[in-house]
Amino acid sequence: MNFLSEYIYYIGAFSLIFIGLFIVLAKKNLIKVIIGLSIVDTGINLFLITLGYIRGGTAPVFSKPGLKAENMVDPVPQALVLTAIVIGVAVLALALTLAIKLYKHYGTLNLRKIKEQKW
Amino acid sequence: MVNPILLIVIPLGLAFVVPLFRFISKKIEKFIPFFALLANLIISLTLFPHVLEKPIHVSIGGFLPPLGINLVAGPLGILFAMLIALVGFLVSIYAFAYIKEKDQEKYHILYLLLLTGATGVVLTGDIFNLFVFFEILCISSYSLVAYFGDKPGIESAVKYLIQGAVGSSLVLIGIGLLYGQFGTLNMADIASNIHSVHSISVFIPLVLLITGFGVEAAIFPLNAWLPDAHSSAPSSISAILSGIAIEVGLYAIVRVVFTLFGASSILTFLLFLGVITLLIGELCAFNQENIKRMLAYSSIGQIGLIVFALSIGSLSGINGGLFQLVSHTLSKALLFLAAGYMIFRSGSMNISSFEGMGKKMPYTSFAFTIGAFSIVGLPPFIGFPGKFMILKAALFEQDILFTILVFLILLATIIEGAYFFRVVQTIYFKGEKSTPGQEREIAPLSVLIPVFIFVGLIVVIGIYPKLITEILESSASELLNRADYIKNILP
Amino acid sequence: MNLSIILAIAFGGALLTYFSGKISKKARDVLAVLISLVIAVILAFFYNTSSREIFYTGFLDFPLILRIDTFSWFFAFTIAVIGSFSIIFSLSYIRKKGNTDYYYTMMLLVIASMIGIILSGDLVSFYIFWEIMSWSTFLLISYNRGPAIAAGIKYIIMSVTGSVAMLVGIISLYSHYGTVIYTELSGLLYNASSGYTIFIFVLFFIALGIKNAIWPLHVWLPPAHSEAPSPFSAVLSGTLIKIGTYGIILLIYVIVKINVFLNLGEGIVSARYIIAVTGAITILIPTFIALLQDDAKRLLAWSTIAQAGYIILGIAYGTSESVASGMFHFFNHAIFKALLFMVVGAVEYRTNGVRDLNSLGGLIKKMPVTFVGGLIGICGLIGVPLTNGFVSKWLIYKTLIINNSPFLAFAALLGTWGTILYSYKLLHNMFLGQLPEKYEKLERAPFSMQLPIVILSLAIILFGILPGLPLKVINSIESGFGLEPLTINIWGITSDTGTINMLNLFVAVFLIGIMIWLIFKGSKKSAGIGQYDNYAAGTTVPKNKYHYSVDFYGPLHRMISPYLRDFIDDFYMSLARSIKNLGNGIRRIYTGDVGYYAIYIMLFLALLIFIQIKWKLW
Repeated sequence: MNFLSEYIYYIGAFSLIFIGLFIVLAKKNLIKVIIGLSIVDTGINLFLITLGYIRGGTAPVFSKPGLKAENMVDPVPQALVLTAIVIGVAVLALALTLAIKLYKHYGTLNLRKIKEQKW
Repeated sequence: MVNPILLIVIPLGLAFVVPLFRFISKKIEKFIPFFALLANLIISLTLFPHVLEKPIHVSIGGFLPPLGINLVAGPLGILFAMLIALVGFLVSIYAFAYIKEKDQEKYHILYLLLLTGATGVVLTGDIFNLFVFFEILCISSYSLVAYFGDKPGIESAVKYLIQGAVGSSLVLIGIGLLYGQFGTLNMADIASNIHSVHSISVFIPLVLLITGFGVEAAIFPLNAWLPDAHSSAPSSISAILSGIAIEVGLYAIVRVVFTLFGASSILTFLLFLGVITLLIGELCAFNQENIKRMLAYSSIGQIGLIVFALSIGSLSGINGGLFQLVSHTLSKALLFLAAGYMIFRSGSMNISSFEGMGKKMPYTSFAFTIGAFSIVGLPPFIGFPGKFMILKAALFEQDILFTILVFLILLATIIEGAYFFRVVQTIYFKGEKSTPGQEREIAPLSVLIPVFIFVGLIVVIGIYPKLITEILESSASELLNRADYIKNILP
Repeated sequence: MNLSIILAIAFGGALLTYFSGKISKKARDVLAVLISLVIAVILAFFYNTSSREIFYTGFLDFPLILRIDTFSWFFAFTIAVIGSFSIIFSLSYIRKKGNTDYYYTMMLLVIASMIGIILSGDLVSFYIFWEIMSWSTFLLISYNRGPAIAAGIKYIIMSVTGSVAMLVGIISLYSHYGTVIYTELSGLLYNASSGYTIFIFVLFFIALGIKNAIWPLHVWLPPAHSEAPSPFSAVLSGTLIKIGTYGIILLIYVIVKINVFLNLGEGIVSARYIIAVTGAITILIPTFIALLQDDAKRLLAWSTIAQAGYIILGIAYGTSESVASGMFHFFNHAIFKALLFMVVGAVEYRTNGVRDLNSLGGLIKKMPVTFVGGLIGICGLIGVPLTNGFVSKWLIYKTLIINNSPFLAFAALLGTWGTILYSYKLLHNMFLGQLPEKYEKLERAPFSMQLPIVILSLAIILFGILPGLPLKVINSIESGFGLEPLTINIWGITSDTGTINMLNLFVAVFLIGIMIWLIFKGSKKSAGIGQYDNYAAGTTVPKNKYHYSVDFYGPLHRMISPYLRDFIDDFYMSLARSIKNLGNGIRRIYTGDVGYYAIYIMLFLALLIFIQIKWKLW
């Protein structure tokens, strides 16, 4: 139980990543694939946050006296996550735009049927 | 001395200025990439002699390494920056006449962003920053592939995006694992501590990074996006993708393997991977009817050759690999530009539509021929010294394994020769002899100038390879001497 | 005079020719002829000198070296002379066709690169010029379009195959000995294991053998020689394939050295014997294939392969007489094969591209000078006394018989019999017999074609009567190789085992000739009969219905043709097809379904992890 509570965030993060990857690999609908990518992103973000997270920690600001550095949450992963979220949104937006265009051309979003570019 | 950060700031800043210039005049916007990259070219050329003495490194935001983001302009970085600026500059001239759509400011913004991303990747000294620039490069190339908005373009862009996104997720997981273990993102800092950690927990991030960057670097079997994207993108973008984007992916792998991890033992694996990539690329290209697909597969093959050369791991091997990289960048960009304009005129990407081009578009055909000969590795063009150096490095190992791999490489060269010579013949010797009334359609100057600058470079460096061997040698030693790299940044 | 100046003139001249053609066609023609002549004249002045210079230091760490000695002078001069004759011949040949600027530029480029190869003093510059020659030749072979396209692609693929093999050989030598300069490499292989020497030999022989069209590497030659423009066929056949010969001599006698070469293996499995036997096969099979050909240029092309067999046999056999015969035959073959291609070219020019031996005939009256050229050419090819071919063939027979190689000697002899048959077919079907009606109004060949034909014919006779001239040069080359020189005088060769003196022969033939002339003069004149004044079964033969040249050697043809299919060519073609199919198969992994692509990425990741767990790479 102790193990679970210690690693719960990691388990959660990697579960999300694997679920997302599974969707990308197995689903044939483009929208679902994009959702999968988005889930992978979320999982990674959770993972990054977890890296710096300390249970019961404080913000890394030395404004109040008596705060110890050991108890502070690492700020770097949070900065990373911010950037990663922005990138993720950009990819997502672009993917959805392309999905709309693709639908206009093919009349379907089934990736098994969109196979003109091959060999 | 100029600050190397300008190499990133100028194109990035100007990218977002492009729409503003629209208010002044609609004609001005296409010149902005031209000036931005001209500035970059000049800056990287002026930095070049300084860098050979001592790598420049810049800390951003006042944090000294290992904290904060820092830029490292070593010989390797400047070599790449120079190459990016040069190819980007020439392709931006090409785009004057080639990009004719109404809303062309999008093209120019994305184009500048792509090159910003590429320059950032090669100059940064921070692994997460590398990822960010890498994403800028990827996202702008996804959208540029779809720039025409036609059916193949959109389809290829979607597929490229899905594969690219999976790849960059892997990279990000790898970076997260590295940060978890070392608590730092500075590459020199990670590199100096890498051997202090248990091997398997370092191996996983290495694998993730190689796979993730491998998608952009088009290593087999991660390269399925490449033939689609290269063949459906606008030709100017195909030239950039083939000449710069894959090379930057390769740079990331090389940086990770050599500098970050010092993983010389994985090189044996990459050696085989390179040869397999080479063979598969050339075999796939052999019977292609679509010229741009053929060139794209040939790019895969060339990347395989470069990976092979870099994985030899000796100084001369890396030297040869980098030379081949420069040679491939110049030759393939030339081929895509020349073929692109011929496609533009004939309206078809089928090789058979090139019949009689030798008469119709003599200069472009000539340039294409030079590029083809150079890729195959015939003297006196730039491809020859590249292949020569690689074979020399491989045979100097005096190992039966290397001899066998060399023969496989040469088999691939023969196949490559076969399909390129076929195209050259189609251009010059096939079709009706010369129908009366058939007019010459000389390409506009903005196409011919960049194309012939490429031809000039290919011939000049081919005849006088010493022009670039100096910087290549110091780049190669930068890759091999991890200790120097670390010492430079963390005194 | 610097050697690099020759190359500068040759390469610069080629480019200059192109641009001068944009200004004036006349000026370009003059310039092209002038450049080729100037090169030949400058080279002539290098006779009996030897010098060596570093001409370029910019290529990586390799100083590129030019050198000249008697050996390279002999080859370079022959090539330059034949080259300039071909260019003179081209003047009218090419005028009717398009792209003349391109044609002359490429022609000069091929000649320049060949001279570059010969003058190179190290293997890297040898290779560089070799490749320039390969691609410029490729661009010229396909000049005629149509079937020439397939010929060109076959040529360049084989050529690239050869040159990559040679490149491995060169770099391997460099990695073992740290040098690629002939003089420094020379004899270093003495200490190498015989396995390594054989490895080097095989690699170089793939390249040199392909260029020299040694059986079974010959398949590019027949289509390339027959489809190329005729003056270029003369260059191809007369000189370009001899670059391969030059390379083989260089490899055996300069780099490896004769003593190592002769000790490589023993008896039947020695390198010497294997190459000699390959040479003999190269004589036999192509000779009889030549007999089956109906296309004049294809016939000559097969004949070229066969004659190259004699040269290889001579060179590889390794006695001083055989090597002399090989080099002398190289020289002779360059002259008479260039001449014969020009003769066919002149006919082709006047008949608007007809080379089919079944539809020509009787041209002796229309093109007498060309006929005489052809006659002398085939006499040289067969080796009739008083022509140059006689002496070289005599030397090879003699040395093979004296040194107890009856089978090789028999092969050489059989080859000559075959040569007699096909050369007669060539001459007869073009110039003798019936004149088809459509050629009644044929004109003589233009002066610019007759001039090289006449000069080359005279050269055949000259060197037939005075074989001492080239043999003197060959003798000094042989002493450079460490072979015992022959005892020669200007008229021939003297030795204990057999003497040849062309003066006696010449006088004898001259006297007999006068006697025959007198007899004919004294006897009654024969009456001339018109071509159509003949009858069969009591009625006149319909005009143009029968052509006697059709199905020449018919029974022989039917007898031997089943055995002479070109299996080697079929083999190469099926190899090419299977590579194509393999490529088409492999392409299928890019299915177009992005789901698969994502799976590939994951599989790659899994593979890397698996490898790590299994082999502990890291």
